[in-house]
Amino acid sequence: MRAALLLLRKDAVLLRRSPALVLVLIVYPILVALLVALALQSDERRPDVAVVNLDTSGRTVAVGGNRLSIDDYVNRLAEDVDVHRLDAADAADALDAGRVSAVLTIPENFIADLQSGVRQPALRLSTSRRSPIEADAINRRLEAGVYRLNQRLATGYVEQVLELVDLVTNGGEIGIFGRTGNALGLKRSRTLVTDLQAELRAAGDAVTAAQLEPLVNFIDETQRNLDLAKPAANAISAPIVLDVTAGAPGREPLSAFGFAGALLVSLGLAGTLLAAAAMSSEREDGALVRLRRGLISAGGLVGEKMAFTAVACLVVGLALLGGVALFTDLAVGRWGLWLGVLLLAGLAFGSFGVLAGALARETRSALLIALMVALPLMVLGLVPDSGVASAISEVVPFGPAFDAFQTLLVEPSIDAGDLLATLGQLALIAAVLGTAAAVAVRRRSAV
Amino acid sequence: MSTAATPVLVARAIARGYRGVRALDGVDVDLAAGESVALLGPNGAGKTTLLTILAGVARSDGGTVTWAEDAHPRVGWVPQKAALYPRLSVRENLRLFAALEKADDPDALAGELIGRADLGEYADRAAAQLSTGTLQRLNLAIALAGRPSVLLLDEPTATLSPDQRLRLWEWLDELRGGGMALMFSTQSVDEAARRGDRLVVLAGGLLLFAGTAAEMTATHGGGGPGAEAAERAFMRLVSGRGEDGAR
Repeated sequence: MRAALLLLRKDAVLLRRSPALVLVLIVYPILVALLVALALQSDERRPDVAVVNLDTSGRTVAVGGNRLSIDDYVNRLAEDVDVHRLDAADAADALDAGRVSAVLTIPENFIADLQSGVRQPALRLSTSRRSPIEADAINRRLEAGVYRLNQRLATGYVEQVLELVDLVTNGGEIGIFGRTGNALGLKRSRTLVTDLQAELRAAGDAVTAAQLEPLVNFIDETQRNLDLAKPAANAISAPIVLDVTAGAPGREPLSAFGFAGALLVSLGLAGTLLAAAAMSSEREDGALVRLRRGLISAGGLVGEKMAFTAVACLVVGLALLGGVALFTDLAVGRWGLWLGVLLLAGLAFGSFGVLAGALARETRSALLIALMVALPLMVLGLVPDSGVASAISEVVPFGPAFDAFQTLLVEPSIDAGDLLATLGQLALIAAVLGTAAAVAVRRRSAV
Repeated sequence: MSTAATPVLVARAIARGYRGVRALDGVDVDLAAGESVALLGPNGAGKTTLLTILAGVARSDGGTVTWAEDAHPRVGWVPQKAALYPRLSVRENLRLFAALEKADDPDALAGELIGRADLGEYADRAAAQLSTGTLQRLNLAIALAGRPSVLLLDEPTATLSPDQRLRLWEWLDELRGGGMALMFSTQSVDEAARRGDRLVVLAGGLLLFAGTAAEMTATHGGGGPGAEAAERAFMRLVSGRGEDGAR
């Protein structure tokens, strides 16, 4: 432990004495973060979406005092994506040919189901597997659109429900089938009944007055239940469902997704390359020969390089997050969790780099190996739910690290079990790769 | 092979192969306290391999190495290529390795070694900026940070100029005077004869001769002046191996 701390201090001194390397370590992740964020965010490019409308009823639904038709909905959708109105067959062809990135199908009786409130109407979204990242982005945009529409519909429902509750409670004018009339209301009904009971008791007919008591109780019970109507009405949140049939149903804002990807690529590359260089330079400097003569174990040396990388990733990661929190409108919080996530991700990136450094004979080779292997694996980590690619990215540090970054940046509430599982996965990968690196150091440092 | 003094190191039947080639084939070697043994041989003789095995840097395929002192003898290792951190200063290198060797006061030991290696004027200079001779002195000083009783040196003077070589040997002689045992490899018969109490001649992984320079000359030199006779004896030993196919 003492030897590892001495070498950790030595590595920190060497890093501090390499201004060019420090500059690269800071500037490079920022540049990569910007590029990746731009590439993944792609705010400027509007995806092409085919809309297939199977609801030809021409009906409308009341939304907050306005009437909403299918055309209105599609026009609102066109604010986020380039809409192409096609029939089902043409839309499928366009999706296959890559002319559109997704097909949104509005089912038959969509408006009628929406009006009835009996059945929840579902929009069907089919995305292309040609571009999973873009499909993910479209999912998020359409989900955001459906969410906004649901909010407006829910608001309209709530207003209507509350008007009815008020009418039943207090009474007033009511229109049914073109006729208007006056509704008595619960409060006035109770007054009438209790007045009648009082008159009956005054007239000596207590038996009849008592027979009216269940009616008074019914009115009181109904009143109490109606008092609960308002929060119940407010709880109506999703009149429409978006049914995604392909692609990943992400829910995060695109900027957060982009930044999570940027964080992965920048920290992943910086950490991996730093660890590879730190490990291989021990051999290239010749110091490994001395160290392995009982001054430090192979595991201790590997652990030291991993810890060094983890601390570097923590510092650079916090700097990037701080910059984003200060200079962008992206909400960054959960700083306590970030400490743990960045340290564990750094350890895992470090184990990957140290393994490359232990296998290569020269620093140049180590850096080349680390870069050539890490880069494609990182890209796989960014691709959402794509079968084999995802499976591969989950057994190297980049997939779980990206999951953890997304969780902290995006999820409104964190499932502690899921996060712990992801962190456990990172720790396991770090342990496995670290052990492999220690074996490589042991074998390669012996002449 | 025998030595008058009690050996601190006894190695027997040391063997090592690399991809089917025997780099060392049953080599015996002893080293006594305060003694200087020169490993002499052409390129590929197995000198470095033997030294790295004795230093604990490499594994042997066979044979035994017995140390007189204890299970973990203090052995200083001076590889041919300086093993240190080029971007750390002379003082930082010495302090780091002294701390790694668990010295009680790494700063004090670093200062002491700087003085003994005559590195005072370079103490705060990065190792990468040192001349070859000065770097070799630092390389040796780092090996001394563990306060060894045995020093193993792999061609320590190979890249040094004559004055640098002389300076290094003056220091090594001083260490020997303090009771330290030295084993060094060289390709120079003259250096081996002058600096080694005994010579161990290796070629093709085989031990060809072990004894004093005078014994080698007497046995294989065929007369003539000392240095030339030793050179001739060495040449005969090395070339003779092919003639009779045995040590």
